[in-house]
Amino acid sequence: MAASKIDIKLYKTQEWVDWCPGCGNYGILNAEQMALAELGLDPKRTVIVSGIGCSGKIAHFINVNGVHTLHGRSVAFATGIKLANPELEVIVNAGDGDQLGIGVGHFVSVGRRNIDMTVIVHDNGVYGLTKGQAAPTLPRGVKTKSLPEPNINDAINPLALALASGYTFVARTYAYDVKHAKETIKAAITHKGLALVDVLQPCPTYNNINTKEWYDKRIYKLENWDPIVRSEAEMDEKLSKALLKVREWGDKIPIGIFYQNEMVPTYEARVEERVPTYLKNPPAKQEIDKNGAFITSIENIIKGKRVI
Amino acid sequence: MVKITWMIGGPQGSGVDTSATVFGNALARAGYYIYGNREYHSNIEGRHSYFNLTISDKPMHSISDDVNILVTFEAESIFQHFREVRDYLVYNKAVESTKLAAINSIERETAEDIEKFLESIKVPPTVEGVLDYLRGKGVKLVPVEYDKILASVADEMKLSVATISRSRNIIAAAVSLKLLGLDKEYLAEAIRGLFKNELFVKANLLAADKAYGLVNAVYGLKGIPINGHRVQLDGNTAVALGKIAGGLRFQSYYPITPASDESVFIEANQVVEVIDPDTKESRKVGIVVVQTEDELAAINASIGAALTGARAATSTSGPGFSLMVEGLGWAGMNEVPVVVTYYMRGAPSTGLPTRSGQADLLFSIHAGHGEFPKIVLASGDHVEAFKDAIWAFNLAERYQTPVIHLVDKSLANAYSIIDETELDYSSIKADRGKVIVPSGEYKRFQFVDDHISPRAFIGNAVMHYTGDEHNEEGHISENVNNRTKMYEKRMKKLEVADKEIPEELRLNVFGEGDIAVVTWGSPKGAVLDAMEELKQEGVSIQLIQLRMFSPFPRNLVTKLLKGKSKIIDVENNYTAQAASVMALSTGIEPTNYVLKWNGRPITRTEVKTAIKQVIEKNEKRVVLNGGQ
Repeated sequence: MAASKIDIKLYKTQEWVDWCPGCGNYGILNAEQMALAELGLDPKRTVIVSGIGCSGKIAHFINVNGVHTLHGRSVAFATGIKLANPELEVIVNAGDGDQLGIGVGHFVSVGRRNIDMTVIVHDNGVYGLTKGQAAPTLPRGVKTKSLPEPNINDAINPLALALASGYTFVARTYAYDVKHAKETIKAAITHKGLALVDVLQPCPTYNNINTKEWYDKRIYKLENWDPIVRSEAEMDEKLSKALLKVREWGDKIPIGIFYQNEMVPTYEARVEERVPTYLKNPPAKQEIDKNGAFITSIENIIKGKRVI
Repeated sequence: MVKITWMIGGPQGSGVDTSATVFGNALARAGYYIYGNREYHSNIEGRHSYFNLTISDKPMHSISDDVNILVTFEAESIFQHFREVRDYLVYNKAVESTKLAAINSIERETAEDIEKFLESIKVPPTVEGVLDYLRGKGVKLVPVEYDKILASVADEMKLSVATISRSRNIIAAAVSLKLLGLDKEYLAEAIRGLFKNELFVKANLLAADKAYGLVNAVYGLKGIPINGHRVQLDGNTAVALGKIAGGLRFQSYYPITPASDESVFIEANQVVEVIDPDTKESRKVGIVVVQTEDELAAINASIGAALTGARAATSTSGPGFSLMVEGLGWAGMNEVPVVVTYYMRGAPSTGLPTRSGQADLLFSIHAGHGEFPKIVLASGDHVEAFKDAIWAFNLAERYQTPVIHLVDKSLANAYSIIDETELDYSSIKADRGKVIVPSGEYKRFQFVDDHISPRAFIGNAVMHYTGDEHNEEGHISENVNNRTKMYEKRMKKLEVADKEIPEELRLNVFGEGDIAVVTWGSPKGAVLDAMEELKQEGVSIQLIQLRMFSPFPRNLVTKLLKGKSKIIDVENNYTAQAASVMALSTGIEPTNYVLKWNGRPITRTEVKTAIKQVIEKNEKRVVLNGGQ
């Protein structure tokens, strides 16, 4: 894909961005548009697949292919898109309720496949579009202004879950640090394999606990941290360290790339092993007929079914 | 016309399938056609399973309750099926003294039914008692000492009995073929063709030799010369073949009975050959088959693949389809050509996972909240299942909407011997609909006269999709005028389809007569075969097999049913679902119903009796309960 930097305007649609003022989604949108521009990605060959909720609308605001899907199901749609045409750059944008609540099964299962795509989680701890119910990353005991009672459930740690599920790139960033978010998203997109970018994102309307001020005090950037697995032997150690590090939460919250391992074959490479022409001639690129005549031969398969 | 029914029963995992396969293969080599139904429990080992085959010199499409030859290895099969056997019972001499009460694998309700029946005819609940009873009814008993034969085979080959114990199944096939009068060489060829391991070939041939000497030839079947090739096809394979031929390039699925065999078959054949029809140049390409984490992912992944231009499908049965409904709505809203092969099994809920049913027709037609067009078609036999699988892709792409292809479990698991020429699909042309590669601005949902917008693939243009109501660009719009217009655009596509798809293709008509039978799916075969017998008894019937339910062929159905003295609806469900679709579309209601919902396919014998009951006694509703 073209690697020269392209004007960011090219990645904006005419749609009015209808998130609440101050929403962390703006930071994610800007960072993502900048990342796409800096990577010079061809809009025709780039796909944003989103789910349901405030975050889902992002597919309408970025001028690449936008597939605004169902609640929790975006990675499943993305799986089909990417595997049918591995030449496409596929990015999933989903909320924490979307991806880690209703869609958590898909979130985990996609990790087993290590498809070369990026999953960006808009992580604000609440279900914004339904007026602020507790979402899967909200810690137990927290009572945001939209909750009648403190949250009764424990929180999921998206990064720990991704590490356990087989994601080969696991990072956290912060919506109000657009530069950091942009760089992290760029690294995730260029990573060969399945990448998670968990974006901490204040919801100024419903989450009055994890506010910009709350995060600004706590967030720090990972330093002297080498996330890259360079040999099989390093894998366990780096994974264990990352698992511990991603759990750091409270007074200090680290952001950055915690784990990166390009030694695991992608799903596409696994398919290529079975179907040697797969990457050169993937499903989406294949002709299935010539002037209306079907060209796939079943003659040999039928021969195998012959009884006489 | 030859029409012989053969049945073999035994515990699952014991090789009943092998017996039936070898037996069927030998018969096919002798020039006979077969239709065979497979019944089994949701269990891997130990529960009762059986094959019911009809052998004929003409292509067959159904099974019968009148079993000419019943072959068994153990006591349960005798108890389960002695009421169906008419001519010969082949049984294991070693089980003669077995009591019904000693059989653990039999379900309590079944044991009670059998016990009650035996009590009513004053027969003790033992194999001996049943054998006496059968003898009295004129059934000939063929005791086979399986263990002795196996021991002598083992002895001659200097092997342990355990090594060759599976040759038991060959003994069963051999005894049956000898009774039919067929030359041993057909069986020998089948054995050589089906077994790869030399040792087993030898053991099986030896076992066959010994078994052939046990009985006399009685049915007098002779080898029939064959022109061309014949194949053995089950429904899962027929659909898989159709999909591959029709250009399937992406299939996602989640394991479920009785659908997964189709996906597994496609995966086993995922590297396919494409041949240029002009230059004959050939090359290998691939189909991607993805086993997803659930059916939600399965349908959504295939929808995603379809957006990129690949012909994409998924395959499932009722419980899986329930989960897929969410994705189906998105595909309808976004005008995505995705094909769902829907194998109907006993429902609701987990229901009867390995049994058949036709209770999901209305569910298919109405699946999803709100209104959106979908095309629903149903196959009535294996050849139809093959061709419909191809047709489904054409319809999906032409009308840019989901297509649901219904196949009954009984068709999925039944097999038939088919002339290879029947699988000629050269008359079906690929129709990819309005596909474009836009040069400039592109509106995926552009309003056009025929309501079907030009479709570009992701990768060739920038486009937007959303499950929200949307404008021509695919962006969210709640505007009232847009809503009215876009909604109508989607719905009108079904009207276009209704105008374009010839109604003659949406149903089949067989025979003539002033009595009409209306059916769909697998009962087609039973009715067709029953009709032939009824005709010999002077009863003429016209069969109308409905093949497409959305859009429904209402004009042709109305025309065909005009002036009929009786309209008999035959279905594998309780509420006569196809009839209700017909009534809704045409205002015509059946006069009588023949219904069955016990999970077993309708047999030609029971449907024949039922039709006669309707004609002679005008019974409004006949409920069938055949099978075990």
